[in-house]
Amino acid sequence: MPVAHGSGSASVITGLGVVSPVGNSFTEVADNLLAGRSGVREVAAAVGAREGRQFAAPVVSIPQPTGSRFADFATLTRLEQICLSPAAAAVTDAGLSGTVVPARIGIVLGLGAEQLKAWELDFLGGGRAVLEPRRDETLVHRLARRLGIAGPAVAVAAACASSGYALALGRSWLAAGQVDACLVGGCDILSPTAIAAFYNLRALSRRSDDPHKASRPFDRDRDGFVMAEGGGFFVLERRDSAERRGARIHGELAGVGMSSDAHHMVAPCSDPTQAARAIGLALADAGVEPADVDYVNAHAAGTPVGDAAEASAIRLAFGKAADRLPVSSTKSVSGHLVSGAAAFEAVACLAAIQRETVPPTVNLDTIDPACALDHVPHVARPHRVSIAASNSFGFGGANLCLVIRKAA
Amino acid sequence: MHTVPFESATGCVLESHSIVEVPLAEIQGLRDAPVPAGAPALPPRFLRHCDEHTVVGVRAVLEAVAALPDPARRLDRYGVIGAPRLAGRITGAQTLVRAAEAGGIAVSPHVVPQCSLHALASAVSVALGMNGPNLGASGGPEALSEGLYTAVSLVDASGCDGMWLVLTEWDEEPALDAAGRPTSDPLCRAVALALRPREADDEGAVTFTIRHADPTVHRESFMGSAAYGLADFACALGMCVDGGAMTSWSHVCPWAAEIRILAPATAAQPKRLRDRAWPRREAA
Repeated sequence: MPVAHGSGSASVITGLGVVSPVGNSFTEVADNLLAGRSGVREVAAAVGAREGRQFAAPVVSIPQPTGSRFADFATLTRLEQICLSPAAAAVTDAGLSGTVVPARIGIVLGLGAEQLKAWELDFLGGGRAVLEPRRDETLVHRLARRLGIAGPAVAVAAACASSGYALALGRSWLAAGQVDACLVGGCDILSPTAIAAFYNLRALSRRSDDPHKASRPFDRDRDGFVMAEGGGFFVLERRDSAERRGARIHGELAGVGMSSDAHHMVAPCSDPTQAARAIGLALADAGVEPADVDYVNAHAAGTPVGDAAEASAIRLAFGKAADRLPVSSTKSVSGHLVSGAAAFEAVACLAAIQRETVPPTVNLDTIDPACALDHVPHVARPHRVSIAASNSFGFGGANLCLVIRKAA
Repeated sequence: MHTVPFESATGCVLESHSIVEVPLAEIQGLRDAPVPAGAPALPPRFLRHCDEHTVVGVRAVLEAVAALPDPARRLDRYGVIGAPRLAGRITGAQTLVRAAEAGGIAVSPHVVPQCSLHALASAVSVALGMNGPNLGASGGPEALSEGLYTAVSLVDASGCDGMWLVLTEWDEEPALDAAGRPTSDPLCRAVALALRPREADDEGAVTFTIRHADPTVHRESFMGSAAYGLADFACALGMCVDGGAMTSWSHVCPWAAEIRILAPATAAQPKRLRDRAWPRREAA
C-alpha cells in the first residue's frame, strides 16, 4: 500500500551507521564513493588460498563504540565487532536512548551465514564448536541486549540481498504498528572459506595482476566480483513520531519490492521478468512512476550473466525512462559486501541524494552492449536526486528493490 | 504509540501443514525419493547438493502441498520463509577439516549457496516455482520464534497469495567425529505451514496472530505456554488443527510478543491434514 509523500505513517531514516572498505562514517563513505576511490587492495593470502596474490576490499579498522557497554569490544569476534559498531552508531545517531520504550524498538539483522562464519572463526582459532555445537544465543539477540532493544529481534537472510530484506521486514513492522522504531541493516566479513567457495564457483574476478581494476561492473571485460566486508545499519521510525521527538530525518524508505526468480539455486536468471517485477513493486509501493526516479544504484557485481540480466530488468521496469536514468554500481569502488551490500548501497543512495551527485562506476572502460543504460563511468555526475532506487539480488533467486526518497 | 497489548490487525489463516521426521541415515535416500501423490515433481536431482535440513524441509512442503484444500492453488503466487536451527553444520565441519588439510581447492562451490541461512527457503522457491519473496530467518536456537514472527508479519505485507513457513531442527544435534562425519543417527524434523491473509468468509478457520504485551510488563503478562522446541510446537499444532483437543495455543517469543494459534471448536476443518513421521528404521 503506497504511503503518501510526507505522510505521518511514512518510514523515515533517523539514524545511520556504516563500516566499510571506503570509510566508517557517512561523510567519509560519500566522499570516497563520489571520488571513485577504490577500497580494493591486495590482502594477505589466507592459508590455502588459490592465488599467490589475493585481493579483496577489507575494512581497515572497526571503530569501537563509546560507552561502558562496549568496554569488552576488543574481545568480540570480528563478525560481532563489524555488526555492533555501525549498529551502535545508528542508535546513537538517532538519539533513541530514553526517547522510545525499549520493548517498542525492534531489530532486524541481515546476515547470510552467521553460523558458518562463527564456526569458521572458532575453528581457525583452534576451537571445536562446529564439531561440538552449543546452543548459543545468536548475534541479533546479543546486539539487542547490548543496545538496550527489547522488542522483536530477528535475523534474516537472502544471500547478497540479506540486509535489504532486513530493511523491508523492519519497515513492515513499523507499518503494522508492531514497533515504534526499528534498527535494521546487516554486515558481513571476509572469510577464507567463502572466498575459496566463490573462487571455485568462478564468481570472483581473477584479475590478480591489477586488483584496482578487478571490480568492473557492466564492463565488457568483467570477469567476476571482488569480495568485500562491512555494511550498514539504519534506525527506521514513522515520520510522525520522529518529528514529535525532534529527530533528524536522513531520508525516507519509501518503497520496497521483493520477488523470486524460482530459477536456480546458484546461477543468475537471464530472464529479467521477476527482477523487473521487484523494481515495479517497489515503485508502486512508493507511489512513484518510473520517470520520477532520478538514480538507480545497481546490484551489478561484475559477473558476466548477472550484470546483463540486471540491465535487462532495469530496461523492462523503467521502459523509456531508462534512456535518461543515471545508473551506477558502487561495487566498482567498494567491492561486494555480500550480506551487507544492500544496506551499504542504501547509504550510497542517501549520499547521492544529499550531495546531488551520482556516484560513478569506476573501471567501466568499455560498456558491454548487453548492458546498455545511462551509465556514469569513471567520474561522478552532478545531478539532482530526490528519489533513488537500489537493486539487490542474491543466490536462490532473491530479488529486492528499495526506493529511497529525499527527506521532505 | 499503540495501545497495548497489540494484536495483529488480521492475523493469517492456516491453509495446510505437515510434519515430517527423518533419521539422518535415511536422508540420503530421500533425495531421490518419489514425491507424495498430489505434489508437483521436482527438477531432476534437485536435492543432490542440498543440506539435510533442506531435504527434509522440502519434503514437508511437498506433503503439505499435497494436502492443500484447493489443489488448483497457484504456488507461483506464494513466498517462502525457511527457519532452520543450526543448518549446514555437517557440511560445514567437513569443509573446514578438508580445507585445513588440502587448502581452498577442497572447498565445494556448493557450500555457500546450499548451507547458508537462505538455502532452505530458496530451495522451496526454486523447486516449486514460488515467485514471492524467499528468505531465511534466524538459523539459531530461536528459529521457532523468529520464523513464526517473520511469517505472520509478512503474510499481509508481502502482497502474495500466501507465505510458506518451513521450520527445521535436529531432535539432537548430530555427533561428529574429527573429520566431521556423523556418528549418531538423530531425527531431522520439519514443519511446513501454508499461511495466507485472512478473508471475510474465513470464520472458523485456524488462525495465527501476533500479540504484543504491555511493554512495561514484558513477557510475564502472557498466560500462554512457552515452547522451546519444534517438537512441542508440532504437537500443539496437531492438537489444535487435527484432533480438536485444543482450541488455542500460544508460543511466547523471547521478546514481548506471542504467536497465538486459534482453532475455534466449531471450525470446519478444510481437509484431513497430515502429521506424518517418516518411518523410523528398525533397530538391528
